[in-house]
Amino acid sequence: MNDMNDMENESISKGLEEALKSFEAKTKQAPLGYFDQFELDLMQKIKAKGQAPQKARIVNLFLNERKYLVAASLLFAIATGYLFFTKAENTTTQIAKVEMIEIETLPYELIEAHVNNNEHIAEVEWNSAIETAGTNLISSNN
Amino acid sequence: MTDQALIIQFQKGDSKEGAFTQLLKRHREPVFFQIKKMVLEHADADDIAQSVWIKVWNKLDGFKQESAFSTWLFRVAYNETLNFIAQKKRLKTHTTQNELDHSLEHPSSQNALKETTIQIKLERAIAELPEKQRFVFMLRYYEAFDYEKIASITGTTVGGAKANYHQAIKKMTSILEQA
Repeated sequence: MNDMNDMENESISKGLEEALKSFEAKTKQAPLGYFDQFELDLMQKIKAKGQAPQKARIVNLFLNERKYLVAASLLFAIATGYLFFTKAENTTTQIAKVEMIEIETLPYELIEAHVNNNEHIAEVEWNSAIETAGTNLISSNN
Repeated sequence: MTDQALIIQFQKGDSKEGAFTQLLKRHREPVFFQIKKMVLEHADADDIAQSVWIKVWNKLDGFKQESAFSTWLFRVAYNETLNFIAQKKRLKTHTTQNELDHSLEHPSSQNALKETTIQIKLERAIAELPEKQRFVFMLRYYEAFDYEKIASITGTTVGGAKANYHQAIKKMTSILEQA
C-alpha cells in the first residue's frame, strides 16, 4: 500500500514535464472545422449502414438452427427408409403366407389331379413338337 | 440534459439521432485527442475515432449504464486503438516507431525543424512504452482520470493502473536523461 502511495507522490522531473506539455500542444491539434465535418461524415456512414439491405438476418437464423436442421433431415431420412423397407418386407411376407396357406388348405386329390393333367398336356405338347419336326424333315427331303 | 438521460432517450428510440449527436458533441474531443496521443497521426486517429463512434451507435441500445458513459466510451476507444496498433504492427507499415525514426533521420522535415531534440526523444520514449502503459499514462496525466476509472477502462486493477503510470514515468525519465 505504501509503495502505491509512493508511486502516486512521485513527482515528474521539470524536463519531462515541459516535454510533456509540448507533446500535448502538438497532439491536441485538429484542422479548423474538423469536428463538425467528423460528425457529418460519421452520421452519413451510420445512415448508409442502416439503409443497407439486411440479408444476413435470415441466414443467421438458419445458421443458428443448422444443427437442428441436420438432425431433423437425418431423422427424416432414417424414418422414411425404415418405413419403406418395413412395408415392402411385410407385403412380401403376406403374399408368401397367403400362398402357403392356400397350398396347405388344398386337398391332396386336387393337387394330384393338377399334376396329372399338367403331365398330360406336357406329353401332348412334346408329341406335337416331334410330329412337326418330322413333317418338316420329310418335306425338305422331297 | 445528462448523459444518462440522453442514453435513455436513445434506447427508447425517441430522437435517436438527436441524443446520439448530443453525446458525440460532448465527448468527441477528449476521445479523439486520447487516440491521437496514442497513434500520433491525424488520419489514423480519425479512422479509429470513426470506428469507435460507429461501435457506440451500434452497442448503445445494450448499454446498461453500470458504469459512466465516458468510462464505457473510453473502453471502446482503448480496444479500438489497441486493435489498430496490433493490425499495423502485423502489416509492418507506418508504425509509430517508423514515423519517429523517420523524423529523427530527416531533420529537414517540417516537424523536426519545429521540435527540439528533447521533444523528439520524448515521442520516442512514449512510442517505446507498452500500449497499455501509454494509455494509462495519458488518461492519468492529461485527462486527470482517477485510477478506479482508468482500471475499469483498461481492464486492470487499481494497483495495476498505478504501477503502469509509475513505470511509464520511470521509462520516459530514463530515456530523456540519456539525452
